[in-house]
Amino acid sequence: MIAIQTSAARAAASVPVRLRAAGRATVSTVARRFALDRQIEFWLREIDSSWSLRDLRARVVEVKDETHDVKTFVLAPNRRWPGHRAGQFVTVEVEVDGVRMTRCYSLSSAPGDRYCAITVKRVAEGRVSSWLHDHLRRGDGLAIGQPAGDFVVPSPTPDKLLLLSGGSGVTPLMSILRDLAARKALQDVVFVHAARSARDVIFGAELEQQAARHPGLRVAVVLEDDAVLGGRIDAAKLFALVPDLEHRQTWLCGPPGMMNALSPIWISAGIPERLRVERFVPPALPAPATGTSPAQVALTLLRSRRRIEIDGTGTLLDQLERAGERPAYGCRLGICNTCRCRKRAGIVENALTGAVSSEGEEDIRLCVSRARTDLELAL
Amino acid sequence: MKSTSRILTKEETEAFGRELDALGREVAADLGQRDVDHIRAVIRVARQTEAGGRVLLHFGLGPVSFAAGVAALSISKILENMEIGHNVMHGQYDWARDPELDSHEYEWDSVCAAVDWRHSHNYEHHTFTNIVGRDRDIGYGLLRVTPEQPWHAGYLFQPISAALLALLFQWGVAVHDLRLNESLRGNQALDVLWKRANPFLRKAAWQVAKDYAFYPALALFNAPRVAAGNFLANGARNLWSFAIIFCGHFPDGVRMYHEHETRDESRGARYVRQLNGSANIEGGRKFHVMSGHLSHQIEHHLFPEIPASRYPELAPRVRAICERYGQSYNTGSFRKQLGSVARRIFKYALPNLERRPAERAPVVGPTRRLAPDPTARVAA
Repeated sequence: MIAIQTSAARAAASVPVRLRAAGRATVSTVARRFALDRQIEFWLREIDSSWSLRDLRARVVEVKDETHDVKTFVLAPNRRWPGHRAGQFVTVEVEVDGVRMTRCYSLSSAPGDRYCAITVKRVAEGRVSSWLHDHLRRGDGLAIGQPAGDFVVPSPTPDKLLLLSGGSGVTPLMSILRDLAARKALQDVVFVHAARSARDVIFGAELEQQAARHPGLRVAVVLEDDAVLGGRIDAAKLFALVPDLEHRQTWLCGPPGMMNALSPIWISAGIPERLRVERFVPPALPAPATGTSPAQVALTLLRSRRRIEIDGTGTLLDQLERAGERPAYGCRLGICNTCRCRKRAGIVENALTGAVSSEGEEDIRLCVSRARTDLELAL
Repeated sequence: MKSTSRILTKEETEAFGRELDALGREVAADLGQRDVDHIRAVIRVARQTEAGGRVLLHFGLGPVSFAAGVAALSISKILENMEIGHNVMHGQYDWARDPELDSHEYEWDSVCAAVDWRHSHNYEHHTFTNIVGRDRDIGYGLLRVTPEQPWHAGYLFQPISAALLALLFQWGVAVHDLRLNESLRGNQALDVLWKRANPFLRKAAWQVAKDYAFYPALALFNAPRVAAGNFLANGARNLWSFAIIFCGHFPDGVRMYHEHETRDESRGARYVRQLNGSANIEGGRKFHVMSGHLSHQIEHHLFPEIPASRYPELAPRVRAICERYGQSYNTGSFRKQLGSVARRIFKYALPNLERRPAERAPVVGPTRRLAPDPTARVAA
């Protein structure tokens, strides 16, 4: 009885909400059908490159040099920005020689900051990071995606934390640190940052300031080229710096070598749940177990009515692109879900985990899926 | 003018195809910023002329602002349909990954639904170009533009039906994929027709509502003026696109094909057919843009997926290849090509005076079948 009353009351309350939603849907259908949205979007963009009623865009308000090859771009998003949690990332879309390209970048700003910010290291041969460094200026507009990712600190904040970063992996952890500082939640936090050399330390000055200001924060910077304690960070060095690390909830983000060297600590200690990781370089995909990947499989693309033959070794995204298809993609790391695609039939294997899918209909991420059998995709 | 294309051997045909393939690959590898900059510049002009035209129609008084408004809106609609819509829907900018330039997302300002167009034009017309009985763009199922089409008495009135088609061209294009002819002949069930007609009916309803209800209503007391302006701009766009498109495949010297000639057609032979089945129009840069670069119909049919603004720079190279292989390259002024089409519409309203080439024994043979068949040549 109570349940019925509650749901009726909820239904009554939701009528105006639904009407408003229906009204909004009608307006947007009419605008699209009359091609008004093209006109409106065009003129908004002509006035200000970050204005849009439809897309999430941001204006660059400041470009800061952090190190010799790292810049922070401070962004003022438009009204479609929903806000983010510390540790999340956004997709950034830029146009390089006429071609739109998307990459994921962790936000380095805290949720309470007036603007949000991404901090980007220039990657050799990296077309998007190079473009951002060379071409993005104050006042420019930038297309960004919804913030996403679960590399976040839960609430309530755990008592003892270890934030562990290497190189440009510091960005999501800086966001978390800034957020904790702003919320006065730095009770017992150790921040360990590994860098190649002193000139490569990102946010070095701010880390020092925060440590000086907050007694609950201890910062350690490990340099690879240090004369005394040199070399890459490993389990022994980490235990020397943080003897109680097994008692801490740990967030780890860094280059693949560092992640691979350090992750076994938590696994062998039997506490994998105390470790959270964020990858920003695609992990080397383990080769498919011999005998599992068929030499030739057929992909049927239902929407374009195309059939292509591929071999089962590469990811579906790579194979589709090689065949001239242009599916949407984002991070290519199995994170952002931009390349999500409906599989109607067939079996795929998750290239990261080796998990094998069922035969039936489901959504898959093309960038981390390998074909095990012939597939039908809603592409 | 008589087409003077030499008959190529099988080897020559394939070599010809390889040269064109190489040319296409070279341009495809060079696509970049300047191509998207070009199409965005055209989009900008189309948006600006549309806004300008509407302001003049909505707020203007008197005939001068009316004429200027109609002119601006006509230019906008022509650019949107020809250089933007037609070319974007071909997938010429899909490589740019810009959702606004995506062939499967784009919906143009025409009563023809984009989904119908992609089927009847991109697939049927570009695949079966100039194959009598397969390419339903030959005369649009309404006109007899070549002696290969069998004559019947209905064609006697085709100068009038051609004029009507020109005035209502967007509607002709829109119902093209419904195959009304087949329903009239009893070859297509009504429920199939209804299913085919669905995208068209929905699109046309929105377009009519936009042009003759929504925009006039916004203008309040000026509503009749706005509706009339929209009507005239649509009509101007219809006439222009009809003229350009009919010059592409129906002037003298363009060759029609029989289905038996194209069985097991090789890649090279396909290029030969596209070349001999298309005709260019000469003109300046603005004329080419306003025609959506369909003034380079030959290059468009050889490389339908290369951005059209590249055709002018491709043309001399295509022409040089054609010369080396003794293939005629059909081009002429707008007046010449349009005059030729008009003459043929009158001429083929009447039955063939000479013996129909189609009645002769078809030439079949492993090499002749792939090569242009001189007996089937369009007579001038």
